[in-house]
Amino acid sequence: MKRAESILGSLERAGKWGEDALLVLILTTMILLAAAQILLRNFFDIGFIWGDEILRMLVLWLAVAGALAASRSDRHISIDVLNRFLPEQASRAVKVVIHLFTAVVCGVVAWYALQFVKTSHEFEDVLLGTVPAWILQAVLPVGFGLIAWRYALFAIRDVAGLFRPGQAE
Amino acid sequence: MIAVGPILLLLALLGAPLFAVIAASAMFGFSREGIDLQAIAIEFYGIAEMPILLAIPLFTFAGYLLSESGAPRRLVRLTSALLGWMPAGLAIVSLAACAFFTAFTGASGVTIIALGALLFPALQQAGYPEKFNLGLVTSAGSLGLLFAPSLPLILYGIVAEIPVEDLFLAGILPGFLMILMLSGYSVWKNRAVRVPLSDFSWREVGAAVKEAAWEIPLPVVVLGGIYSGYFAISEAAAVTALYVLVIDVLILREISLKQLPKIMRESMVLVGGILVILGMSLASTNYMIDTGVPQKLLAWVSALVTSELSFLLLLLAFLLVLGAILDIFSAIVLVVPLILPVAMQFGVDPVHLGIVFLATMQLGYITPPVGLNLFIASYRFDRPVVELYLSTLPFFLFLLISVAIIAFWPGLSLALLD
Repeated sequence: MKRAESILGSLERAGKWGEDALLVLILTTMILLAAAQILLRNFFDIGFIWGDEILRMLVLWLAVAGALAASRSDRHISIDVLNRFLPEQASRAVKVVIHLFTAVVCGVVAWYALQFVKTSHEFEDVLLGTVPAWILQAVLPVGFGLIAWRYALFAIRDVAGLFRPGQAE
Repeated sequence: MIAVGPILLLLALLGAPLFAVIAASAMFGFSREGIDLQAIAIEFYGIAEMPILLAIPLFTFAGYLLSESGAPRRLVRLTSALLGWMPAGLAIVSLAACAFFTAFTGASGVTIIALGALLFPALQQAGYPEKFNLGLVTSAGSLGLLFAPSLPLILYGIVAEIPVEDLFLAGILPGFLMILMLSGYSVWKNRAVRVPLSDFSWREVGAAVKEAAWEIPLPVVVLGGIYSGYFAISEAAAVTALYVLVIDVLILREISLKQLPKIMRESMVLVGGILVILGMSLASTNYMIDTGVPQKLLAWVSALVTSELSFLLLLLAFLLVLGAILDIFSAIVLVVPLILPVAMQFGVDPVHLGIVFLATMQLGYITPPVGLNLFIASYRFDRPVVELYLSTLPFFLFLLISVAIIAFWPGLSLALLD
């Protein structure tokens, strides 16, 4: 049990590091590439042929990576009207349901995104001239799969917390 | 099977992430129509087909960077030098500075944290009543939403498929109306202690300008570039992000390279949160349009109201309730595609609708019981949230009057357009 927890713990840390690195990399590339495009277009009247398409792909990647980062600390946009007024134990029970629901929905999205990527692979769709489209699209199943994983972990922790009310959070 | 809608609504109200609720409803709709669920991924992929979306991460990052730097302090000094001589000078300075700052940070609560922390103690020290100060700082946190290049304006333009440049122009006069109304209230309310902050001094203006010399070109370049047609919106965003990055990290060195990853991450959590909702709602909106929801809505609304005037009244009431429970970004992507065709049937201009929509949603930030800024201010200034309900109330009423004027006087929004 201890060992499983420590493995999960180091997985989590590696994941966080990778996620931060990915966000920084995408955003930095985006800023530099977008600025370079403007410079080249206005002063030299040229541009990377694939510049705009790369930028649009970066937005998609950033959307998924950002959503993954938001799920790390459960900071997705939500309404949260009723929860403020619920007693603590009920609020905990509600959290289990909500986290489980989110995990299942993201799991289903990831599964069908995988089918989408497979289809794209079969048809040998190509982006940016030569890059197989499925490589760039793979961010969808991977990203939503990881979000599902995170919310599943939240749900497990919530359930554990329900039975150990003193120690939870 | 019929119970799926109410169950999803309940989950949303209990705090489930909205993107998951939207995704679930879209997938449920697809499966009922016998559409392959791969559609959810295909629709989400649409995010990669909207070039203007690039503006959202770039402007958001620039705004977060500015708020972590010394820019808020310099902005307050410059505004004080320019407006401090007026009666109730510091109150007006606070309103103007917050509005300007929110335009760049996109109304995400950053304004209260970055500027409120400077202005609240200053207002206290200058002898304004505490209740007034709390209300002012909290309400001003979303003021400036109608000024370019604010995120909600851009997002509305994307969703409604109208030029963002038009919205940038249309927001100017209504935005000033809101500032004027709140400034008028501040002057009147403090007529007993109507302290000018300081005498007007060219020397102080000069010093403040010199101190902010790196930031002053920013609005000029960005807005001038956009309005003159020299830059596209996403290009202006790229220039802003790179410019702010260079001055704050390399020239002024107020932000170290070490801090940068954290600021990037924080700003991208917001961006990811918005874009994932947008992506999922591309799917749910398409499904709703295919199944004729706007037509049903139109039939339903037409049975209730007949004129543009009564339609606007109904719209305002609806948006006030919506704004109290839903954040501005989700409201835009979910609701605009449905009400836009209805509004156009009643003769409402899409640009005017956008300004009315955002102005009303701005009120939502301070609408009890769950307005976001009420909670941010309660946390930031360590006051019970009920105290904030009361202190923001007068500001809420004046903003409500502004919203009514904006709604029933389309000319105010459309005057600057051709």
